[in-house]
Amino acid sequence: MSEGSRDFLDPSVLSRLMALPLHARQSMIGSVSGMHRSPVRGSSLEFAEYRKYVPGDDLRRLDWRAWGRSDRYYIKEFEADTNLRMVFLMDVSGSMNFAHDGKEENGTRLDYARKLAGSLAYLAAHQGDAVGLWAAGASGKKGSPSAAVNLPARRGSVHLGTLLDSLGQIEAAGETTLLQSLHEAAEQISQRALIVIFSDLFADAAELRSAVQHLRFRKHDVVVFHLLDQQELDFDFDRPARFVDLEGAEPILADPEDVGNAYRKAVTEWIREIDNIVRTSGIDYHRIKLQENYAEVLARFLLSRTPKKGGKE
Amino acid sequence: MSFLQPFLLWGLPLALLPVIIHLIHLHRRKTVPWAATIFLLAAQQMNRGYSRLRRFLILAFRVLALAALFAMVARPLAGGLLGLTGGAPDTVLVLLDRSASMEQQNLASGTSKREAGLTKLVGALKEAYRGRSRLVLIDSATREALPVERPEALADLPATWATDTTGDMPGLLQSALDHITTNQTGRTDVWVLSDLQQADWDASGGRWESLRSGFSALPGVRFHLLSYPTPATGNLAITVDRVERRSTVDKAELLLDLEVTRPGINATGDGEETELPIRFVVNGTTSVHKATLRDNRLNLRGHAIPIDRETERGWGRVELPADTHPGDNTFHFVFDKQPVLRSTILSDDPFSMAPIKAALSAPADPSRNYQADILPTDRLSELAWDATALIIWNAPLPAPDSLESRQLLDHVAAGRSLLFLPPDITGDGSFLGVSWGDWIETGASESDRISWWRSDSGPMANTRSGKALPVGEIEISRRRTLVSDGANSLPLARIESDGAAVLLAALPDSAASASAGDVLFLATPPGTGGSTLARDGVVLYAFLQRLLDQGAGSLGTALQREAALGSLGVDATKWTAPESPGEDPTELVSTDLRPLRAGILQTDGQLLALNRPTEEDQTRYLDTSTLGELFSGLDHRVIEDTVEDETSLASEIWRTFLLLMAVALVLEALLSMPPKKDTRTVEEAARGFKGGKA
Repeated sequence: MSEGSRDFLDPSVLSRLMALPLHARQSMIGSVSGMHRSPVRGSSLEFAEYRKYVPGDDLRRLDWRAWGRSDRYYIKEFEADTNLRMVFLMDVSGSMNFAHDGKEENGTRLDYARKLAGSLAYLAAHQGDAVGLWAAGASGKKGSPSAAVNLPARRGSVHLGTLLDSLGQIEAAGETTLLQSLHEAAEQISQRALIVIFSDLFADAAELRSAVQHLRFRKHDVVVFHLLDQQELDFDFDRPARFVDLEGAEPILADPEDVGNAYRKAVTEWIREIDNIVRTSGIDYHRIKLQENYAEVLARFLLSRTPKKGGKE
Repeated sequence: MSFLQPFLLWGLPLALLPVIIHLIHLHRRKTVPWAATIFLLAAQQMNRGYSRLRRFLILAFRVLALAALFAMVARPLAGGLLGLTGGAPDTVLVLLDRSASMEQQNLASGTSKREAGLTKLVGALKEAYRGRSRLVLIDSATREALPVERPEALADLPATWATDTTGDMPGLLQSALDHITTNQTGRTDVWVLSDLQQADWDASGGRWESLRSGFSALPGVRFHLLSYPTPATGNLAITVDRVERRSTVDKAELLLDLEVTRPGINATGDGEETELPIRFVVNGTTSVHKATLRDNRLNLRGHAIPIDRETERGWGRVELPADTHPGDNTFHFVFDKQPVLRSTILSDDPFSMAPIKAALSAPADPSRNYQADILPTDRLSELAWDATALIIWNAPLPAPDSLESRQLLDHVAAGRSLLFLPPDITGDGSFLGVSWGDWIETGASESDRISWWRSDSGPMANTRSGKALPVGEIEISRRRTLVSDGANSLPLARIESDGAAVLLAALPDSAASASAGDVLFLATPPGTGGSTLARDGVVLYAFLQRLLDQGAGSLGTALQREAALGSLGVDATKWTAPESPGEDPTELVSTDLRPLRAGILQTDGQLLALNRPTEEDQTRYLDTSTLGELFSGLDHRVIEDTVEDETSLASEIWRTFLLLMAVALVLEALLSMPPKKDTRTVEEAARGFKGGKA
């Protein structure tokens, strides 16, 4: 992808997805009014609860009908709607450069993540939410174009433009520092936010659990887009090959016939560990294969976050 | 192992092609950028050992398949059995045991051990050497080296035909050693075809040591011992111990003592009885007597066969029904008036010779007449040479070319016995390379004893019951050393103190040596002042009577001998088969084979019955360990075979290599087969949270 290009955005996909609002799964503390539930009571049309009148309450909010029925004073409270902060946390380690069959024209994992993040950023900004970008992976690496990418969540089309430009510019390289970046994000993002992680999660499962729990502890709504290629799951090579590590480790000579089943066994165990982390940490986890259409993935994601009819938002 | 197309083995290095291709592929592997290397590393850790072993085995099987292919097209011969390596030797020496026991046969095919061995040997020689080596045959009966043009000609040579002789295997090997040494045969393969009968191989004999040292000094000599040590089953052997014509006023009859045994099986004592028809043929007239074989043994004593009163001499045979060894089913005999067992002692000291005269006059067989005389040396001309079975020469040895010497040689050549005793007078003469040395006197108090003597055969052999003669108890206080050139003498007893021979057999070197009588030198006087031989008596009596009996075999006109090369004397052609009604003249064997085959022969009024040596009936065979000891230090290989086994010794074994190649390819294919891909589990695991929400 060329530097600064916004090719990862497809207007037709965006126009179709505009009909699906993006909801937070938990109440958000926003700076302006929005379409997301807030922990404080407000003046929206959405009834929240009754409470007993205490002196000093605004008499306009007294429910006279309730007084007429029960001869008691009740104050009628309504939900407050606010906007959300949405931070995209991109894994930009070398493994994000993986492409099916090693051909970049098929699209890399990072390209796929760009499409997802860019589209979500556009949709969120369009419904008035603040969006931010955090490049996780080579933040400490000098000279890396993504080292300085740390855009805090803000509203406005100008900021959206900046974010999309940055998204188009980041490059994946080097060893993964995803876990470290997750901890840093948990510490530095002070207000609760919707944190969307795009990664292959090729990291130690125990440490990953710790990092995710750290984010959850800071009351962030965590969404994980786990991006995997079918080839990485199946390891369906038909002849011995030299496997060059995208994160710079020593190449490995391997015969798929020899190690195929053992590889798949290791992958299976790892996936089960990830699932276990998901179950215990309450994150919104989406395992995505790079072969899937990203528009369908986004639609599925947005639909999954739409509150059920009659349910409480 | 040998190959018919050995030059194709140069292609063997090509068997390493799979390894080379593997190494090339190792450096030309496709490069794949990969992200999930942590799982790849983990998988490699899990599979490292198995993966390496599998790769190594696949390569090994590929190399093996190619090597087997090249070996197959090089047309390998059965090497495991023959042990043939490298190219063909310069000379192949075939040593054939033609003893009577080699005629044991497979009843179904009628093939004898000798024939079966020869057939296999011919096949092996054809396949293994393919005419590239010089082929020489030496047989045990003639011990003559005979060059053979082609292996196929072996079976047609009279030198490989059946005989009824004994097989002196050490002598045969000595002949081989002499041939190799004399002719400088180069690299030589010696094939020995024998049934390993103990009596023929004489494993305890003293000749093996010199044979081993002789052969080990020759480079490039290899032995292939093709052996048939399996005894014939259900075989019966017959021997005649005594034939005597007896006549009364009104009738005449022939009395026979005969024995039928089942060789190799001792009397069981279980009372098992078998009806056995024994056929008697006397002067062409046949009669059958049904006897009962009990406990695997039958002794028929004094069996009478009526004959004409006018018939005083004649011939005959006894026969058993056919079995697995036809050679021991017949025993030939001749009969005549029995001659007097005459012995003459030539000595000027009649007093000291008196005990010897007494021992020779005392009849061991009461039915025969014994006569012993002492003749002074100046009356030698009065000696009845043709009528004397044993001459005891207690006088200076005759000069080698003197009349006396020639007379003594003729006496021995006729099959009679000759014993030299040490004379007090010193002379310059010698006989058959042996002469008297100095006297050694130890005195009565420090007398010598005999520490070793030959107990299996000869005049000091054990008795029939197996008991040893008390030779070791004899005290020798005075003896005379024996000086021998070593080539033609054989010690039969040795002194304990210095190992010197006290009894020495001199061997005639003529062609008629087999029929020649014994020539012995006793180094100590038997009487007082010499040894206790005369005083103890037992050893002296047995010793002299055996010599007399041995010499008496050629007395008279009816002779009984064992078949051997010289059994008919120098001129075998004068012996012919007696005419007999009912006998097929085509059975007459050629002149060369006549002394080697059992049968009846006659010449100049003499009748001769030739039979197999009785030791050929024994079924004791050398075991592998004993054979290994006899050939220890020599490059040898034992091939144990049976008459029933019809498989070839040297056959092309390309099928084995083809099978080997096929097995290698199948195993390679099995190992190369990709393991079943277990993608289902990982797919199920991956599907678990697809698009899901925690």
